[in-house]
Amino acid sequence: MATTTAAVTLTSDLLSDNMSVSASTTCVKAGTTADGLDQIEYGYVEVATGDEYDLIATTPTAAKASKLFVKNHSIDETYYIAITQNSQAIGRLYAGDWMFIPADFHDAAADIAITSNGGTNKIEYALFHEGTALTTT
Amino acid sequence: MATTTATLTISSTDLLSDELALSTTATLTGADNSTGLIGTSGLARKTTANTTEYTLFAAADYTDDKAHKVYLKNTSTTATEYFEIQVAGTVVGRIWAGDWAFIPWSADSTGTNCDIDITPQAANMTLEYMLFTD
Repeated sequence: MATTTAAVTLTSDLLSDNMSVSASTTCVKAGTTADGLDQIEYGYVEVATGDEYDLIATTPTAAKASKLFVKNHSIDETYYIAITQNSQAIGRLYAGDWMFIPADFHDAAADIAITSNGGTNKIEYALFHEGTALTTT
Repeated sequence: MATTTATLTISSTDLLSDELALSTTATLTGADNSTGLIGTSGLARKTTANTTEYTLFAAADYTDDKAHKVYLKNTSTTATEYFEIQVAGTVVGRIWAGDWAFIPWSADSTGTNCDIDITPQAANMTLEYMLFTD
């Protein structure tokens, strides 16, 4: 069993009370406390403007505890990728932004797709999961 | 200008043959600019009374297609308890006991309202959350 931890720290001076929020989780399989996620897909791609791509080529098992990390390594502030799931807009990752989201993959259409805007975006991604439905050749 | 940063660290010594030690920090800025995000809901908690779906953030209350970010944490310690997260009715995923998420949010309301909705798996679960707005 693998042990993978994911920690976040958010700091901000937006409020008079300077904020510093931290959280850490050990990535485990759905409904368990100690059975760690033991599979990963980790990569880096450059995505040309205008095209929409499925970021994850395989289909992880639905309704599990999969986690998806995506970072936009672009440095031009006008560059971003639009994140969609099942063709529904979720949000935008601008240059330098990252996200860490639960990923459900509830059916074959529920892929997470990215569309590059502004220019060629450089994208790092990692999917931590507990199994995929492999496509037959 | 306010400065808001988000730092992520993912680590594992046994997931791969090569130790995983991923760390990144983003200074959260607005769409198409380098100005820091200008608003926040502040850190909040909500304890759900039942398993009804709740709207956590309504897209109509925020500007469309910006660089908003949402932080969520399931404070439960019961392994089987999760919050299902939806955007515009599309299931994004489940955050299980102890899990957290950091999600970019379009707040698009031009077509389908991209509200962020949560559905607790059980009654009396507590969600910690915060929104940063552009």
